[in-house]
Amino acid sequence: MSTTPEQLYNFGFIDEDSKREVRRQILKAIALPGHQVPFASRDLPIARGWGTGGLQITMAIIDADDTLKVIDQGDDESVNAVNLRRLLQRTTGVTTTVDTTAASIIQTRHRIPEEPMRRDQILVLQVPMVDPLRWVEPNLERATIMHGESDYGRMWVYMYESVVKAGDLRIATQYPVIVAGRYMMDTTPIPRWDVMRLHNAEALFLFGAGREKRIYAVPPYTTIEPLQFEDFRFKTEFVAGQICARCGAQDTFLTSHFVVDSDHADGGHWRSSCSDTSFCDKRVLVNATTQEAPQ
Amino acid sequence: MTAPTWILHASGLNKQYGPGCPRCQQFTGPAHNNSQCPVCNTVYACVDAGFTLHQGEVLGIVGESGSGKSTLLQMVNLATAADSGHIWYREPRTPDADPVDLLQMDAYRSRHFRNDRLGIVYQRPELGLNMRFTVGGNVAEKLLLANWRHVGNIRTRIRELMEQTELPPERIDDDPHTFSGGMLQRVQIAKALSSSPSLLLLDEVTSGLDLSVQARVLDLIRRIQWEQQMTMLLVSHDLGVIKQLARRTIVMKNGHIVESGLTDQILEDPQHPYTQLLVSSAL
Repeated sequence: MSTTPEQLYNFGFIDEDSKREVRRQILKAIALPGHQVPFASRDLPIARGWGTGGLQITMAIIDADDTLKVIDQGDDESVNAVNLRRLLQRTTGVTTTVDTTAASIIQTRHRIPEEPMRRDQILVLQVPMVDPLRWVEPNLERATIMHGESDYGRMWVYMYESVVKAGDLRIATQYPVIVAGRYMMDTTPIPRWDVMRLHNAEALFLFGAGREKRIYAVPPYTTIEPLQFEDFRFKTEFVAGQICARCGAQDTFLTSHFVVDSDHADGGHWRSSCSDTSFCDKRVLVNATTQEAPQ
Repeated sequence: MTAPTWILHASGLNKQYGPGCPRCQQFTGPAHNNSQCPVCNTVYACVDAGFTLHQGEVLGIVGESGSGKSTLLQMVNLATAADSGHIWYREPRTPDADPVDLLQMDAYRSRHFRNDRLGIVYQRPELGLNMRFTVGGNVAEKLLLANWRHVGNIRTRIRELMEQTELPPERIDDDPHTFSGGMLQRVQIAKALSSSPSLLLLDEVTSGLDLSVQARVLDLIRRIQWEQQMTMLLVSHDLGVIKQLARRTIVMKNGHIVESGLTDQILEDPQHPYTQLLVSSAL
């Protein structure tokens, strides 16, 4: 029987010592929710900044019995998602799925699936920029001290300035939150729509930044408080009248894309659809079944 | 018996930069007109300094550049760690409570203390202000740290503080770069006052300003001190500033306190040769 080149690697690509080191840092991150734990980020066959942090976490925790789902911006079929899934599948042989409810580990970039996650599931997020204080304190050493002393005044000034300059809290993604009443955490570029999905959730959320060599975590049933003012509250994205062109959803996070149409005066039109493609597919199927069902 | 009214009592404060050697004492101090040991290059920034500051009092610290006055102020500000000594603080709102030694507090508590109970105004505005934030944002920082979470209330308070410090409230959202040096000093004062501190630290606040602006800033500080009975620790190399604001003064040279007493007494009848030189140079 011939072997593929990927099968010559260790299970999960990286060596067992590296996996053990990542798991040790994950445990520390779970013990200190929201705290950034340094780890020795390994070289991988993809460039840093393309999901190496999330990938190493997944490689360290994945087991032969796991079912894996990989998404990018909610999409199972984007280039990044397909390539990461293929690498993980070929080096572990695990079953992969696009169904959120069937997966035990979900690796994601910039989205949390629409379907509520269960306590037996783990969501691994790929993180490009770790520290929310980077906006106000570029010196990492000073930012670490600020985290240690809960010195978040300057970040609050950043929020105040956002209100003063834009008339409202205008932070679109990477919304800063306080985890378990202690550490300030960057929520990665997930939209504001997803931020409160972290709050008191049943699932474990692991955040990995390969380029910045940091891991942090939100354990199950952990409080998440977005930074907000009494007169300027945290709000999720909402555009009145916007619905998914495929499934008709109004209760999901929608993305827009331009559809070229030569008959249209502007050369085309904008169309909205669910960012979570597998959830959208499910709804389309349910809608079709409902319509076909005998009255 | 009348309750003691001091709020700050410092004793035995030392700060040196370097390891020190057996011959340091032989070569450093006011008698040798040197604060750096020529053998081991250790700098003695502050040696066995102490003072008592009473509530509502302004204490001046005067001396030439490198005499250790700013080091002493920064130790009180808990921004520079003292090698040894004590800084006892008695909270004026609870005078019956036991004094606490500020130098024994951990980093977390000392940061909270610095934010809640101390206000500081630096000679260089960029040390006290974040030039990337608006003027209002800078003044708001201490309020936000004190858990003010209503933007409307914060802005009302900032405008009050701006009026109090003679700044135009309509410029609340302006960039600090568009403000003059004197105005930036007033922004620093507004920021320092925002948390209603027990103690205001002033580090060469009028240096680098022209005379008319200096006079306005000094008038403002004097008015605030008079109206709020604010306790102040004032560092300056300018005896004129000390004379106008401070009731008592300590004179520093080469890291040592060489003379202390009532400001009038020091200016009229200086005892230490260095103080005599300082006064004769100024007058």
